[in-house]
Amino acid sequence: MNIFHGRIMKYTKTTSCLLTTTRYLLLGMGLLLASGAFNNAFSFEDDEGCLMCHKYPMMGRITDDGVKRLYYVMPNVYQRTVHRNVPCGDCHSYIKELPHKPVKEGVTCNSECHSIKNPATGKQFSHKVIYDAYKQSIHGRSKAAEGPDADKPYCITCHSNPLYNPAEAAPPKHIVDRCVVCHEDRKFAERWYNHTSRRIREVRRTSEEIVHLCSSCHGNKELVEKHVDLAKAENRDLGKKFSVAVTSYKESFHGKLTQYGFKKTANCLNCHAQEKNYFRSVHEIRPSRDPLSPVHKDNKLETCQQCHVHADENFVNIDPHPTSHRGDNPFRYYAETIYNFVSEIVIAGLVGISLFETFGRKRDGAAWRLKFGSTWRRKSKHGRDRVV
Amino acid sequence: MILSDEAKNVLETSMRQNKITDDEREEVLQLIAGLPDDRVLLYKNVVSNPIGDLPRYSIHIRIQHMLTFVTFLTLAFTGLPIHFGEAFWAQPFNSILGGVEITRIIHRTLASIMIFSMIYHLFTITFGALWQLKRGRFDIRRTVIPLWKDVRDFNEDVLYFAGKRTQRPEMDKFMYKQKIHYFAAAFGNMVMIISGSTFLFPEFWAAILPGSLTSYFQELMRLSHPHEALLALLVIAFWHWYNVHLAPGRFPMQWTFLTGKITREHQIEEHFLEYLRNLVEIPRERALLRDMLESRELLVTQNDDVKPVTDTAGLS
Repeated sequence: MNIFHGRIMKYTKTTSCLLTTTRYLLLGMGLLLASGAFNNAFSFEDDEGCLMCHKYPMMGRITDDGVKRLYYVMPNVYQRTVHRNVPCGDCHSYIKELPHKPVKEGVTCNSECHSIKNPATGKQFSHKVIYDAYKQSIHGRSKAAEGPDADKPYCITCHSNPLYNPAEAAPPKHIVDRCVVCHEDRKFAERWYNHTSRRIREVRRTSEEIVHLCSSCHGNKELVEKHVDLAKAENRDLGKKFSVAVTSYKESFHGKLTQYGFKKTANCLNCHAQEKNYFRSVHEIRPSRDPLSPVHKDNKLETCQQCHVHADENFVNIDPHPTSHRGDNPFRYYAETIYNFVSEIVIAGLVGISLFETFGRKRDGAAWRLKFGSTWRRKSKHGRDRVV
Repeated sequence: MILSDEAKNVLETSMRQNKITDDEREEVLQLIAGLPDDRVLLYKNVVSNPIGDLPRYSIHIRIQHMLTFVTFLTLAFTGLPIHFGEAFWAQPFNSILGGVEITRIIHRTLASIMIFSMIYHLFTITFGALWQLKRGRFDIRRTVIPLWKDVRDFNEDVLYFAGKRTQRPEMDKFMYKQKIHYFAAAFGNMVMIISGSTFLFPEFWAAILPGSLTSYFQELMRLSHPHEALLALLVIAFWHWYNVHLAPGRFPMQWTFLTGKITREHQIEEHFLEYLRNLVEIPRERALLRDMLESRELLVTQNDDVKPVTDTAGLS
């Protein structure tokens, strides 16, 4: 019993020691976290005090629809986003008091920023111009759209606001040092540096990324079929290539080269948006039946000539979305069928002839010999053999 | 050996074209008369140097073959990963040579070399034929031009391999298989050049073709380029490499594409008519053949009194 009791005592001492260590470790981690939270609290200006509540991780709720919503704002992440200088209230303008009531309407991207002024015009800054262009496009929809329109992309479908410019975390000191000579406020100089440098650097999506982005909807078979059926039921016209847009692009030279990261060949937007007003036009994608579309029959030549400078009116007859579907392109379908048939016959015939010859030659006494490559070593069935 | 009328004609033509002396003529006829009737026995009993005994291809043809062979395989290596971009092997194959930015340059450069090789070949065969005509030595049967005889040879050869004939047909310098292969390659080359040019210069083709045909032509070329490439690769792998590497008796390889020479046994077996010309054109070959057959007691001499000397005089 004593021995047993001693063992328990020993075990208890060890546990106690571990607990003490853990306690100190937790205390240390707590201090670290607290210092982090302290830093985060000042990582961007939160004059409205939103982070009083939204700084707490796991802050969220489950909606009546059973959807888990997370309201935690990570200050150190938010400070790297393009909206870091926009106070929360500029977009969440419906919040008038704190603590606020449950939010019923979401943020739309056409709100006017109350705190940011367009330095060129002196007016309040807004994405309204782009938003209006988007509304004119085939993709345009309201944020609260329901039914088939709800499948269309809204601003944040494409603009996921990625943190793709980590260099902004530390603007080059030798540049900011110059700015602060006159502009005094270092933070202001750093913000301006980041803002302008982001636009100077090439942050446009690569061709592969553009194709990937467009394919996320246009390559979604279920979604495409749903819209094809819907258009049929409503007797609406969809583009001839609507249902094969992605597969046919991937079969084209443009698609095959883009897949390998080649930058000089056309991606979706090179043809479906206007190059001369690219950054607005990509928001204003129109179907080919729309006379304003770059791929409308009247505009196709000009669009092709962006790259194929010597293209003439015949050139636009070439299909940039080739497929071998019988319904889409019967000529190609039958041509490919004939090609495949002929190829299979030829290969089967040649293999057959080779096998036939092999048996014939072996019967004649020819053998596979590695050395000297000489042949007539076996006994032939004809009895006419080499005299040894 | 009693020659067929066809072989007699070839022999007589060769002797006339080479303007051999009467003594040489007598020697050739005596030798041929003494050959065993069974050609199988003949080609099984000659001695051959594996790297070749008798002239077949000039240095020009060998250079052209080498250029076409290297460019074709590299073109396939750089082109197929683009067409079959979704296949599991495409990305690594493409990366080996530095990605599409590099392979597209390699592909076009090699295509130019292949086209050069084709033009070089056309010059060679055209001026080669003109030179032979000028010397009075041209014989259409010795060229790669298909003749009705090739159809008969194919039929006879199939029957031989099926065991229905005792002898392979007397074939010329280029047998039916080589002619098929040559024209298949020539056709394939043209298809690849034209279709490749439609990818490189689509504006040019659109400009010269009627508007109603532009799209169909481009569609056809888009299909033809990869299909023809794949077909050519499979034909090379399953047929050409079989014929020159894997067939019993040719294994492990024929050296002709490097040395330009063909082995004696191969020449007698598959190109007997050309071998008759060799006997006329190469005096040393007559002596060698005589020695080989005498050592194996296969040469029928005049003293054996079994058959008369072949008379070709009446055929000239």
